[in-house]
Order: sequence, then C-alpha cells, then structure tokens
Amino acid sequence: MFKSLQQKLSFDKTVSIAPLITFRIVFGLLMFLSIVRFWWNGWIQSIYVEPKFHFTYVGFEWVQSLGSLGMHLLFLCIAVSSLMILLGLFYRLATILFFISFTYVELIDVTTYLNHYYFISLVAFLLIFLPANKDYALDMRLHPEQRRLTVPAWCVGILRFQMAVVYVFAGIAKLNPDWLLEALPMRIWLPGKTHLPIVGSLMYETWVAYLFSWFGAVYDLLIAFFLLNKKTRPYAFAFVLIFHIATAIFFPAIGMFPYVMIANSLIFFSANFHQKLQSYLPFYNNRLKNLASNPQPYRFHFNYLIKAALYVYIAFQLIFPFRYLLYPGHLFWHEEGFRFSWRVMLMEKSGAAYFTVKDKISQQKLEVNNREFLTPLQEKMMSTQPDLIVKYAHHLAKEYKKKGMQQPAVYGEIYVALNGQRSRLFIDSSVNLAAEKVGWQHYSWVLPYSKTNK
Amino acid sequence: MKKITASFIALTLLLTALFSCSKPENKDNNPANGFDKAAMLVNYADNLIIPAYASMQQKIAALQTASDAFIANPNAITQGAVKTAYTDAHLQYIRIATFNFGPAETVLLDNYLNFSGGLDYSFTTDGELTGFSVDTMAINNNILSGSYNLEMLTRSGFYSQGFPALNYLYFGNDAITKMDSKRAKYINDLLARMKTLIDKVTNDWSGYRATFVGNTQTNSGSPIAYIVNQLSYQLDLLKGPRIGWPLGKQSNGKVFETKCEAYFVGISMSLAVENLNSIKRLYTGNNTSGKGLSDYLVALNQSTLNTDVLTQFDLALEKLKAIPDPLSNSLLTQAATVDAAYKEIQKLVTLMKTDVASATAVQISYADNDGD
Repeated sequence: MFKSLQQKLSFDKTVSIAPLITFRIVFGLLMFLSIVRFWWNGWIQSIYVEPKFHFTYVGFEWVQSLGSLGMHLLFLCIAVSSLMILLGLFYRLATILFFISFTYVELIDVTTYLNHYYFISLVAFLLIFLPANKDYALDMRLHPEQRRLTVPAWCVGILRFQMAVVYVFAGIAKLNPDWLLEALPMRIWLPGKTHLPIVGSLMYETWVAYLFSWFGAVYDLLIAFFLLNKKTRPYAFAFVLIFHIATAIFFPAIGMFPYVMIANSLIFFSANFHQKLQSYLPFYNNRLKNLASNPQPYRFHFNYLIKAALYVYIAFQLIFPFRYLLYPGHLFWHEEGFRFSWRVMLMEKSGAAYFTVKDKISQQKLEVNNREFLTPLQEKMMSTQPDLIVKYAHHLAKEYKKKGMQQPAVYGEIYVALNGQRSRLFIDSSVNLAAEKVGWQHYSWVLPYSKTNK
Repeated sequence: MKKITASFIALTLLLTALFSCSKPENKDNNPANGFDKAAMLVNYADNLIIPAYASMQQKIAALQTASDAFIANPNAITQGAVKTAYTDAHLQYIRIATFNFGPAETVLLDNYLNFSGGLDYSFTTDGELTGFSVDTMAINNNILSGSYNLEMLTRSGFYSQGFPALNYLYFGNDAITKMDSKRAKYINDLLARMKTLIDKVTNDWSGYRATFVGNTQTNSGSPIAYIVNQLSYQLDLLKGPRIGWPLGKQSNGKVFETKCEAYFVGISMSLAVENLNSIKRLYTGNNTSGKGLSDYLVALNQSTLNTDVLTQFDLALEKLKAIPDPLSNSLLTQAATVDAAYKEIQKLVTLMKTDVASATAVQISYADNDGD
C-alpha cells in the first residue's frame, strides 16, 4: 500500500490531460460570466472608481485604482483573457494577463477581500504553469505538433490539492466553540430565511441551526477525501451539488462562489469521465486529425526548479492559514491572521466607528464624518477590522493636514458586536491611532475580548 | 453501479431544481413556528406608510389653499395661516421621510422635497456647511428669469425647491412686500411639483405594496433590510445635518446657525423631535402594534436589547425636547443642551448599527455587493 501511494505521488507519473482541459474551459467560462456580472451590476464604478480612498495591502501600497477608463479597460482585459483561456488561445499569455489583472483588481482595496477571489488568483497563478492548452485548444490548431494527451500527474494533483485546501481549512475554521456548541452565526442568520419555500418555517428552529453548522463543518472537513476516492466520488459530488446550491439559495450574497466550487470539483473525476464529457463539445473529434501516432507526455523544462517551487507552494498553502496562532487574543475579535485562510461565512460582526481629530498645536478638535471619506461598504468593513481602522486613521491624519492642521492626532470610539453578543467598546479610545504602526505586529490598542453578556 | 450513480445525480439535480424553482410563496405559512414577517410588513404598509402618504396629499392641498390666500393678499394674517399649513405639511413630510425606499427613493423624493445635503459631502471647498441649505440666489434668479428646470439633479436645484425654498419664500425677510406675480408663479410651480411627486409616490405604493409585503427576505434590497437601514440612515441624518453639523461638531465648534432645517420659519426642533418620533415608529411598527421590528427582535429572544433600544429612544427624545426652537438661536445660546442630545442620538446610532443590525442579520450598507 505504501508503495502504491509512493507511486501515486511520484513526480514522474503521467495521467490523461482530459481533467485539465475541462478545468481550463470551465474556469475561463465562469470567470468571463463573473466579470460580465460584476460589470453589469455597476460594481466597477461603485467599488473601484467612486471611492476617494482605498485600503491598500501592506507591501502593495503601489496598487491603486486606475480611474474610470483604466478600471474598465482592466476589467475588459480580465474578460478577454478569460475568453482566451476558455478557447485555449495564446494560453500562456492569457493566463499571465488574467492572473496579473485579476490580482491587481483584488489588491486595490482590502475591504473587497473575499476568499473566493483569493482562490481564483491562486488557481490562475497555477494555470500559468500548467499545460492546459495542449489539447482541444485553438493553440493546438496553430501548433498541432505540440498536442499532448498525457501530462505529469502533479498537474492535475495540484489543482485537486488547491480545492482540498479550501475545503479542509474552511472545515478546520469551523471547529470553534461558537460554531459547534452554540450554532453561531447560523442561529442569527437562519431566522432571516423564513421566506424560503418548504423549509422556511423551520428556520426559527434552533436544531436546524445546529444541523446546518455541524453538516457544514463535517462536509468541509471530509468532502475532498470522498471526492478523491473513486468509489465515493459520485455520491460526494451529489453532496457538492446539494451543499453549494443550498448555500446559493440561503445566502445569495455570496455571488458566484458556489458555482465556481461546483464546477471546479469536476477536477476530481477520472479521465474517462472527462473524455466522455468533452465528447459532447463541438469539433471534439477533429482535434485528433493531426495527432502524432504516439505522442509523448508533456514534459517540463527545469524539472528540478518546478519540483522545488511546487513543494514551496504546497508548504505555504499548508502553513500560512495557521499564522493566526502567532497572535494572542480571540481570532474573531482581533482578526489578526484572519484573511487568506479560508474562513468563509464564519461570524456575524458589525460595528459603529466614530473618530475625533485633534490638532496638538492649535488644540482644534473635530469629529469625522466617515461618509465623507468612505463608501458605506468601506465604512462597514473598516469598523470591525483593526488593520483597516489604523489605515483609515493614517488617511484621516493626512487629509486633515491638508486641511490645515499641523499635528493631527486621531482617536476612535468604536463599538463592535460579535456573533450575537451585545456591542462593546472595541479599541482604546485614548490611543492616538495616527501614531500607531500599520503592519503584521499585534495591535495592542485593541481591547481584549471577553465573552460576558451584560 | 454506473446507472445507480447516474440516477442518484439526476435525482439530486431534480430535487435541487425543485427546491430552487418552486414557486416562491413568500409567506411564512406557519406563523405559529415563529414570528410572522409578512404580517409585520402588511402592518408597515397599511397602517404606517400608505396612510401617511394619503395624509401628505391632504396637507399639501391645505398648504396650497393657504398659499393662494397669501399670494392674493399678502399680509401678516394670511402669512400666519400659511405658517400653520406649512408647519403641518413639513411635519407630515418628516413622518414620511423615514420611508425613503421603493417609490420614494425612485423619484428622489427626499432630494427634491427636503434635501438634507446627504452624508457623503458635508462641506463645500470654502468650508461652508451644505446641510439644509437654501440657495436664495438660485431661487431669485429663477423667479426673475421665469424659466427653470426643477428636475435638475444638482445641489443648487435641490436647494431651490421643496420645503427649503418654500420656507424662504413664505417666511424669509420681506416675504410679504416682495410678493409679485413672478414670485407667485414660482411658488405655485414649486407646490405643483411637490404635489406631482407626492401623488406619484402615493400611487406607486398601491402597486408596490404587493412587492413590499410579499418579500420577507432580509438580504440587501429587501423591505426588512430597507427598514433596518433606514433606522440608522435617518439617525445619521438627525445626528449630522439636523443637529450636530450646524452645532459645529465637524468644524471645531464653528456654528452654522443658518443651516438649520426650515431656518426661516424656525421650527427645526419641532421637525427634529417629530423625526425621532417617526424613527421610533418605524422601529416599533407604530408603537404597540405587536407587528413591528421591535416585536421581531423580541421573537428572536432579544427582548433585553429591545428594551435598551426603546429606553435609549426615550432618553434621546427627552434630551431633544429640551432644546427650544428656534434651533438657530439655541445653537448659540445653549450649545451644551444640543450637545447632550447629540450624544444620546449617537448611542442610538450605535445600537442600530451594531446590536440591532447583528441580531436581525441585516447588513448596514446602502449598496448591494458580494460577501462571504
């Protein structure tokens, strides 16, 4: 058994290219539809053009909005490159363009961070290196001699790994007392879903919230393994369908995420399945016409480099989500090491933030109207996340300097309610936030969390 | 094996399709299991919103009558009658201002009738508070030229019509002596436009009602989310443009006494108190109806929170009532009294944006967008 596992994980093993081809087509199609939807909803304008200020990522302060024309062109670039990925046309260029433009957009504003955007960026990055255009692609019409029917097994494996990472870490994140023992935040969210047909009247029931919480946790933890196993795969996929369609119905605000996960789960299926699936595609049989009689498997140059990079990537994916362990305090309250860790729909948190700016020289003192600087979405996200609060305070200090203050100090009176608890003071109101550093360190000016209801 | 698999997948697809496509009845069929949201929305529509618009139509008609008499014979007595009718109409408008969603939002009723300046832009580049401005220059230009477009989407356009303009034209300096045919025409045009907009919103509600009461969802863009969002939005307006910004909270104590709501007639505090009363009514679903958002909170086991919110409403109301009209005067002479009310309103804003929003799982964001 150990030997077979070793064989399975061997770097030199080759498998059919078919799963990779389906993955490429579906990914391109879904990304194209996502961009159309985003554009159609007017979100390019309202999220990336209208805000006067953007919350940048540490180290990526140079990533700025490109203005109305620039942002629309950038989205056009994403849309065109996703179509090129779909068609397999100038694939390498298309994946690079897609990865850069999509990631650029996501890096503009932290308040738009979504785990599934991170997932898409990662997959796009992987696709750059994967030979997903070596069959059933326009590129192969241009270069039929490059057509390949088999690829190194890790090319399919790494995508399965990425899917599994999303699920398993989302499952691990759910292993917390609030989720398991109190069915929070499900118990808060489900009573808002009584409009649903058939199940609606159950939504006030506490046991339903527990059922959802536990089913969600077990599903996330195990689904990848059931998808990997050939015998359980069809049943597991049925669960994938049920689970994600249910989340789409219950939580329409999560947008395209369920469909992305359903479609990408196909990567777990066998080569036979994918070949059958692809045989329904137009011109599928034409593609074999110019194929060499005995095509070699796809080979990478710089094999050792690829191998090393692969290990680094895998290690990063496995370790990075655990970085929260390096921080003291309650994770949901402080949110240090919260993002980029597959914590999806994990808590109900809302805040109200009031800022005062004082000039140390003139003793001028005034209250800030957040809406003057932030959109409602930005204000909502900023009010509960310490790193955004301090970023915003720095921005305020800069703005009020422009308005004539000499040494603006920024103080925040912020209240946060977490997972159905009553709201309480979130940060030390006597700390001049303008003088606090932005970075990876623990923010000691956030008041400690205590779970005692008043 | 394969057949079983295929049929299993097919069955699942069928079930999910059934689940997602089955005709949405949008009614809590079994209210015994919990709170009946559909009944709550019916209460809001039939007992709170629709009658308030009907009453608004009557108040505008009464204002027109008094206004006609004032125009025909401008003197202190007819002006006094206009003041009564105007105050009635403006107070009634305050009562409907909290329903700034659906038909009212579509026609931008609040912008055209009683523009607060909004929350996103409170000072001009000159450092002047925008708030409840009256653009007297634009108004006088319009009167003089006799040609104007009241549908323009500009700040100056909003500030030269509706209640702000009327309160200047009826009660500004020399309102009696300045009356002439051109001014009369402008007043009548403003009244006609207000009537048109209010009639439209009232009529649209008869169609919109079914959509409103039929949607018991809580995600953004749903009636319940509108109500929860209005609570904090209206409180933000009360805290900022109505009280705090004229007081100078944003301007290091520099007071903008002329930027009070209905400055020329001097009823800002009556309006502010009615505003907070209306917000409370929106929260309770017309006080003891048993079918308001407050009752929904109680049904969600949040009765302590509900009691705290109601107590805070009453405390803020008490502090607000302690400020005498005209506010333009009180801002200068009783800043501490105004500040005390401001603080209590802020506590109410906090409760709405954090505790109430969290308990009802409604997002406070006036826009639609993905989340996870």
